[in-house]
Amino acid sequence: MGSTVRSALIKICEFLLTALLVSFFTFVVFSIIPGDTARVMLGPNASEEQVQALREELGLDAPLATRYISWLGDAAKGDFGKSISFGQPVGELIASRLPVTLGMSLIALIFVLVISFPMAAFCSRNPGDLTDKTLSTAGHILFAIPPFALSMMLILLFSKCFHIFAAGRYTAPSANFGAYLVSLLLPSFCIALPKIAMTFKFLRASMIEYSRGDFVRTAKSHGLSDLRIMLRHIIPNSAVSSVTVISLVLSDILGGSLIVEQVFNLPGLGRLLLSAISRRDFPLLSGIVFYLAMITVLLYFLSDVISAMIDPRIRDGRAST
Amino acid sequence: MKYKGHILEVNNLCLSLCNSDGTPVRILNDLTFNVRSGEILGLIGDSGSGKTMTALAISGLLSEFAKIDSGDIIFEGEDLVKKSAKERRMLLGEKIGIIFQDPSSALDPLQTVESNLSEIISIRDGDKEEGHKRIINMLKTVGFEDPEQIAKRYPHRLSGGQRQRVLIAGAALMNPSLLIADEPTSSLDTVTSMSIMQLLHEMCQEMGISILFISHNLNAVRNFCDRVMVMKEGTIVDYDTSWDIMGQPKSAFTAELLMKSRLDPDKLGISQGRSQEGAPSVLSAEGLSAGYRYADFRNKKTNAVIHDINFEILEGDCVGLIGSSGCGKTTLVKTILGLNNPTSGTVHKNGRVAAVFQDPVSSLNPAHTVRWHLKEALKASGRTLSKTEQEPYFLKILEDVGLSAKHLTRFPHQMSGGQRQKAAIAMCLVQEPSVIIADEPFSALDASSQASIIKLLSDINTKKGTTMLIVSHNLRVIRAMCSKVLVMDKGKIVESGDTDKILENPSAEATHKLLKARMYGV
Repeated sequence: MGSTVRSALIKICEFLLTALLVSFFTFVVFSIIPGDTARVMLGPNASEEQVQALREELGLDAPLATRYISWLGDAAKGDFGKSISFGQPVGELIASRLPVTLGMSLIALIFVLVISFPMAAFCSRNPGDLTDKTLSTAGHILFAIPPFALSMMLILLFSKCFHIFAAGRYTAPSANFGAYLVSLLLPSFCIALPKIAMTFKFLRASMIEYSRGDFVRTAKSHGLSDLRIMLRHIIPNSAVSSVTVISLVLSDILGGSLIVEQVFNLPGLGRLLLSAISRRDFPLLSGIVFYLAMITVLLYFLSDVISAMIDPRIRDGRAST
Repeated sequence: MKYKGHILEVNNLCLSLCNSDGTPVRILNDLTFNVRSGEILGLIGDSGSGKTMTALAISGLLSEFAKIDSGDIIFEGEDLVKKSAKERRMLLGEKIGIIFQDPSSALDPLQTVESNLSEIISIRDGDKEEGHKRIINMLKTVGFEDPEQIAKRYPHRLSGGQRQRVLIAGAALMNPSLLIADEPTSSLDTVTSMSIMQLLHEMCQEMGISILFISHNLNAVRNFCDRVMVMKEGTIVDYDTSWDIMGQPKSAFTAELLMKSRLDPDKLGISQGRSQEGAPSVLSAEGLSAGYRYADFRNKKTNAVIHDINFEILEGDCVGLIGSSGCGKTTLVKTILGLNNPTSGTVHKNGRVAAVFQDPVSSLNPAHTVRWHLKEALKASGRTLSKTEQEPYFLKILEDVGLSAKHLTRFPHQMSGGQRQKAAIAMCLVQEPSVIIADEPFSALDASSQASIIKLLSDINTKKGTTMLIVSHNLRVIRAMCSKVLVMDKGKIVESGDTDKILENPSAEATHKLLKARMYGV
């Protein structure tokens, strides 16, 4: 048991170290790109003295290292400073937008898992037959369509033609949780579709490979039915190899949501990020980027933990397959 | 209640396999044989002779590319060819058991041994307690001393022999009437394969299970099978009691196969490679210890595998390295080659050391031709040849190993196992090494290819004078080729010296064990 606790501690330390590095690079990148925050805040008409005074007030004239350390100290307390364009604390702004982006990503992930696994299992049983070919081709097409184009097509279909979805209407989860979920359903589906295609393609290949493998042959020789072999051997083994792919898909989903929010007019992190970029709102920008980076790091951390939970070889420090 | 009489009758079975372009190729031709209740029938032949296809046809595990053209397979009085796929799968769990050659990936890596085995019981009768007891008992029967521990382990923590035992336990748990064993010992070392064969023999005797035992080594099955049939290119060329087959084979092919599997040095035309008086040392080790590193989560540890190894090999010698599996032979080879760092001690090399490995399939890059492989080897040795010199040089090397110009452009999958191993040897020769280390270079090959590779390596040693270190568990080969031998056990060299003397008069217990396995004919 001692080694499990130890390894968990080591994992957490690794996680913290990665977080530190990410924060450092975020800070440095936003400090060296051109553009002067004080100038942006005061507008083009302010005099050089005024700008200089504000720079001193904001601490922008201090050396990079000093600024980073004080920024880090504040960030550790969850304080990313005040947004220039909104005049609100960055933490609050992010917190108010997070439910949209995270909720959408989670629903999209559920779509991906629930649809791609059965579809891949179904296709891998008779690779090359008509169903398999049809679904694989459909997957390729979906994979090739960019999310924003897909979003517009689906809005056209579900809002304009069938009138079952009101695009652009968003309900906060605190107001009505059911309505909140419903309002995120179609955008989540838009993000999920290309990812379903990608995960399906990967899973199908891995399931076909496993279904020709030696342990499946053993299971057949034990008299197990095809369905049992699929559930008991092929799906769990494919799940192991797909954990990494799914964590990649998830960080892609986060990225994809930034664009889809724009199309569906949802108040998420993506729109906040875009407005921060266009207004050179550096405190807000670095806050959001740091948040997104942290979520991604957390996802990779979780995927490592999940892999080790399912696969005994990873627990023993050996590579899988 | 076991079935009396002929448990399996195969009549005029013909089977075709579809080529990549869809044209069917006849694989099995008019096969007729039977398995009597309670007997062990040996099925012998080179690779590609249709042995495994026969096994798959009987068990109903043929791939979608194979088709039974005519004939019938009558099992306990019922024709299997007429049964549906579902009925056949049911039969597979109930009455026909099958174990395969390579146990390395035959168990689900995500499940413990018990969980792997419990699926056999749970599809029949559900009681968990009872099932656990049966599994533990069966693991004990197949020779595990601590069955409770083994049941909790995951497959990657078992050795090849242990995995094969688990698979046999699985087959025995079903209590089948017929067990098809497709080369179950070919990938195992001598001592382990002897114990596996003994185990199968006991199962046949005590549980009354009939066994169809498939092997490429005719000599290995002589004491084991009641009757033997020899296959060549999909037809049966010999079919008799094993006594008669071994005594006076009816066909010339069987006689040749027998000769090859006996590895008679005179008939193969090979002799022991010996260094001349006062030859310099080309490879030696002093106090060599090494192990492999593994991570227990992130906690790096080194597991010592070989301890304090000392030896010296003189120029022109052919030295054998023998020992049962897991004794550290491969770790020693890797350490000599520099693929593994020693924890203490040193290796002295005088000249270049090249290596040939066991599995010619995975040691060649599937994406490249033989020419590419030879170029890589040339580059690795640090020599450069002009374009005009290179081609004739490669052709000469290929000729030396018994391949020809057409093989230069072949990809690994376009060659047979023996040809691939020859290509691997050609890669060694290109480097002009002073020593060639061959780590079990024969064990993945069938009897005919084995004989040709043995002849080739022996010729390189005796005619070219290249020093050899041959790692093998086959004492027959070692005796025929090597003038000196090193015996390893549990990571140490327990005995070394003149091959004939040691094999006739062994002092270490490990050597005794290896010799005993040989007596059994493995």
